[in-house]
Amino acid sequence: MQCQAHYTIINKLGLHARAASQLASLALKFDAKVTLTQDDKSAEADSVLALMLLESSQGKEVLVQCEGPDAEQALIAIGQLIEAKFNEGE
Amino acid sequence: MKLSTFITEDRTKAAVLFNSKKRLFEYISELTHQVAPNITAQECIDALMQREKLGSTGIGNGIAIPHGRLEGIDETIAFLIVNEKPIPFDAIDDKPVDIFLALMVPEAQCQEHLKTLANIAQKLKDKHYCKQLRHAQTNAALFQIINQD
Repeated sequence: MQCQAHYTIINKLGLHARAASQLASLALKFDAKVTLTQDDKSAEADSVLALMLLESSQGKEVLVQCEGPDAEQALIAIGQLIEAKFNEGE
Repeated sequence: MKLSTFITEDRTKAAVLFNSKKRLFEYISELTHQVAPNITAQECIDALMQREKLGSTGIGNGIAIPHGRLEGIDETIAFLIVNEKPIPFDAIDDKPVDIFLALMVPEAQCQEHLKTLANIAQKLKDKHYCKQLRHAQTNAALFQIINQD
């Protein structure tokens, strides 16, 4: 099972430490390999350090790719988290 | 980019021994107050605790990046602190933490903060680098590691 989608980072602070941690925790819940790609940089979503390396700021577009038995659920959940601005009160 | 670009030798602390998150935060706050006397240790500890309430800054593999936003500083104040033994930190992988990269960040900074985090991530992703940090016995030795590339 494989699926992917593009999302725009819309929260003010971008993929900073807490947002990256939330994303990694979420990715770990699914039986799927989740990869985020921005421009020429890719990161495995279960590594906070790798995610922070993307330097995704507000307005950047990221490609989320999921592979594995839970790929679809993982993609939906991650998309929701990004669109919910990582639940940050802004 | 070397970590020494934004962590000076006097902000590099090797082989310290604290038993809890709270004690460690008190230490970071005291160090911050020394660097920026206009910030009280209490303001600093409040900022760190407030951030921690939103979710642990323990990012896995024994590493944490405790940080807080402060009004009244112009640039990020960073400390590298390595504890003698790992302490419980509610990290994302439930492992205790011994490498702390503490950041006190100006209130309004966004883009620059992401850049700093990316630089830190670049270094700390390297397991060999982390091992070296853990083995440093003196502040000078620890600084030497982050000052070489």
